[in-house]
Amino acid sequence: MSLLTVRALVRSLGQRRLLAIDELCLSAGESCVLTGANGSGKSTLLRILAGIDAPDAGTGCFDGRPFGWSPYPDWLRKQVTYVHQQPYVFHSSVIDNVAYGLRARGVPRAERARRVEEALSWARLHHLLDSPPARLSGGEKQRLALARAWVLRPRLLLLDEPTASLDADSRRQTIELLRTFADAGTTAIIACHDRDVIELPAMRRLDLVDGRIITD
Amino acid sequence: MTLWDATLAALLLLVSGDRELWGIVGVSLSVTLRAMLVATPLGIAAGYLLATVAFPGRRLLIVLTQGLLASPTVVVGLILYLLLSRQGVFGELQLLFTQTAMIIGQVLIALPVLIAFSLSAIQGADPRARETAQALGASAPRIAWTLLLEVRFALMAAVCSAFGRIVSEIGCALMVGGNIAGVTRNMPTAIALETSKGDFAQGIALGIVLLLVALGINSAFAFFQGEARR
Repeated sequence: MSLLTVRALVRSLGQRRLLAIDELCLSAGESCVLTGANGSGKSTLLRILAGIDAPDAGTGCFDGRPFGWSPYPDWLRKQVTYVHQQPYVFHSSVIDNVAYGLRARGVPRAERARRVEEALSWARLHHLLDSPPARLSGGEKQRLALARAWVLRPRLLLLDEPTASLDADSRRQTIELLRTFADAGTTAIIACHDRDVIELPAMRRLDLVDGRIITD
Repeated sequence: MTLWDATLAALLLLVSGDRELWGIVGVSLSVTLRAMLVATPLGIAAGYLLATVAFPGRRLLIVLTQGLLASPTVVVGLILYLLLSRQGVFGELQLLFTQTAMIIGQVLIALPVLIAFSLSAIQGADPRARETAQALGASAPRIAWTLLLEVRFALMAAVCSAFGRIVSEIGCALMVGGNIAGVTRNMPTAIALETSKGDFAQGIALGIVLLLVALGINSAFAFFQGEARR
């Protein structure tokens, strides 16, 4: 069964068409890698699916339930998580960052603590608990952002170039984490050029050219 | 009395715990702190709305707020005096020459500073902060709270700046407070009065306290601005 279906999705900026997708269907548990040149619409698509930007037109259906884009429904916001190419970390603590989405969902304190602990172990962040999040390296911030997403067990995960501008070691660790997302059956769309990500097992590939999906 | 003698007498007044002098300091700080308690949430909320919500007339409101940053406090006092005087719209409330009138005046003076600085702080925040909060499923109030926490040092700088502006203003306090001893006489109005009477010692003593308060506030302002840039 399809988890996400979007049809006739259009987004323009002035005269320029950024996105024109006839149909995109994503099955539950499926992982997709989204490739395409700079400006092909990868980030635009992810930001629309995450409810950060709204399209000019298009229909959407999530788990059999139709939804509109503006306003993006709260129930869907709780199911979908998006991670920026260069993740933003809140100026609080590593633990508060990981717990943020759980607090937003009203998860009780004891369960929150247990899930945060598990996510910190998963992303190997324990040694950074006392570091101010803003001082973390690019790779550490990426792992923190992935832990922040992992702890929520989203039904749909959207990642924008998760391995871009990381050093070799951070890149390897990030790919390992992405593999566990896939192994856990998380439905994901990953905008990426990294061959090691594209070649992850059972990864479906979508190519975007000028805002259109040309290979699927 | 030479300037040196007056300064020595002023220091003596300060260290001897002169009841009248410290009473004036108390009125000043009490009125200003209460005004800040009212103005701060209002100003930050208005700054947040102006920064994040699109509505007709928003641009005009922003320009108006920025224009009011430099409004002469004596004009604010004059308008408030006309509103609160016996023939004024709010004359029946009998607020003229009370601390409440001074607080209202200080709130009106502080609001443009708080709104303009908050607006600037929130507009200057990294857009990914809001997007990340959204993407993690936060509700609109939680997103707002998160954003305010992210720019907290810039907001503290706004609070310091507004406090600095109202604690030392004289025009409005004199017009709507009336400089009544023990009730509405604050540091700036007392300095003006004592100096005009030739009692330089109390004027200098209050000037020293006001200067120290201003110095403390400006140091805090500089600290928070530095933290906000980090």
